[in-house]
Amino acid sequence: MQTATHMLRTGRRGALFQFQMAARDLANSFGRLGLSWSLAWHDVASRYRGSVLGPFWITLSMGLMVLGIGFLYASLFKLPLNEFLPYVALGIVFFGVMTGTINEGCDTFVLASGMLSQTSLPMFTFLWRTVFRNLINLAHHLVIVVGMLIFYGYWKTANVPLALLGVLLMLLNASWLAMLAAIASARFRDIPQIVISVMQFAIFMTPVFWMPDRFGKHQIFLNLNPFYHLLQAVRAPLMGQSVQADSYLVLVTMAILGWLVTFVIFSRTRRRLVHYL
Amino acid sequence: MTAASITCQDLTVRFPVYGADAKSLKKALARAVAVGGALGRHAGVTDVTALSNLNLKLQAGDRLGLIGHNGSGKTTLLRALSGAYEPDEGSIEVHGRIASLLDLGLGIDPSATGYENIRLRCRVAGLSSKDIDARMDEIAEFTGLGPFLSMPVKTYSAGMQGRLAFAAATAVECDVLLMDEWIAVGDAEFQKLAHKRLLKLVERAGILVLATHEAPLLKLYCNKVMKLEGGIASEVVDIRKLDQLLKA
Repeated sequence: MQTATHMLRTGRRGALFQFQMAARDLANSFGRLGLSWSLAWHDVASRYRGSVLGPFWITLSMGLMVLGIGFLYASLFKLPLNEFLPYVALGIVFFGVMTGTINEGCDTFVLASGMLSQTSLPMFTFLWRTVFRNLINLAHHLVIVVGMLIFYGYWKTANVPLALLGVLLMLLNASWLAMLAAIASARFRDIPQIVISVMQFAIFMTPVFWMPDRFGKHQIFLNLNPFYHLLQAVRAPLMGQSVQADSYLVLVTMAILGWLVTFVIFSRTRRRLVHYL
Repeated sequence: MTAASITCQDLTVRFPVYGADAKSLKKALARAVAVGGALGRHAGVTDVTALSNLNLKLQAGDRLGLIGHNGSGKTTLLRALSGAYEPDEGSIEVHGRIASLLDLGLGIDPSATGYENIRLRCRVAGLSSKDIDARMDEIAEFTGLGPFLSMPVKTYSAGMQGRLAFAAATAVECDVLLMDEWIAVGDAEFQKLAHKRLLKLVERAGILVLATHEAPLLKLYCNKVMKLEGGIASEVVDIRKLDQLLKA
């Protein structure tokens, strides 16, 4: 119905019709992934414009953080460096991608208000822009991750395909959370602050800087933390450990339910979103 | 390819205004009496009816001028035609590639160079990277900015920014061109160029919808005219009846 040369907009209501329109938005956004990619590249390039290292600041600042925290905590908790440093590197990098996607999700529509209010670009285009931007960041971090794994001898035992599956599950979940944050933030301007606070809290409650076995008999709290499963699905295979089957169950269920809820909310708010901004 | 056309049937667009408390609502009401649309209120959000029951039929070759005072719904109609605002009632159907030149600043990043901005603007408008490469020389030449195109846009003067934005925005081929008044960019020399380019674009575009307050512009570009008043549209009349419409 809506192609480059034909646009139809009606005031028709009804859950089914709105659902169809939302699905069309999603489908159209897949047709224009190239635009999302260009916008994401532009975002990254413009953030580091004029600096000598350019986007490699992403790599450098992450490297310093990983080394700093790695050495500090390893000596505080008397952990072997060859085990803890790669562990913390993976934790910070992948948790960072997740928080980055969700936190920046809040600004997704707010920053795109100019384009949304005078073009018929799909809304989802801007969600993919946020997701791609964080993927580009991740690509810059990979140097650290791979370097660390090779240096400490984990690379030979790392299960890369399984880790990629973990990354996929992480992105699937982070993107619906980001979409939800984007819609909510467009309507209520308090949401970004709440999201940032929650994600900050989550990074300390999730075994990013500490080992899960330290939790002892309180393991149940660990299993109730979705971010733990998200992180574990990526980190464990790379460290040569196995992932609990429970984690996959949690992640797949969360992705399906999360996307369902998000999509329903999107289909109900889609025609109003541009007015929120 | 099918010919360009625009059809609006009983188009009503309402604006929910969020976060308008009693105080600002009072102000809004006062303003609405003077210049705005009709205000209604339900379920805690203020509703502004920006367009009501608008019927419009345009075919290839129609160049419609929109007139009406501030807040009468001209821009809302353009945004609805661009696909950004959805109707609350009725429908809009547009055949043809739409180009909306409502805001010259759309997609302009002040810290990026002129070239990057042209690229970005054209990407948003739907051109592929290859298309842009093919057209870059022509666009660059039209801006007349020469070596300045490699410098960040924030170092440009307002006139230079206007040139850049205009050149990038009008590089897109389209069948339906939506414009909000901003034709006056750059110096006299550039205005002449801009005028030529716009005429060419209007010729190429099947349909032009232009919102403006300036009668000479309307007479220059349009062959039909419609007046909006508080979201209610007049009949579409021939441009020769513009003076009557303005007096009415």
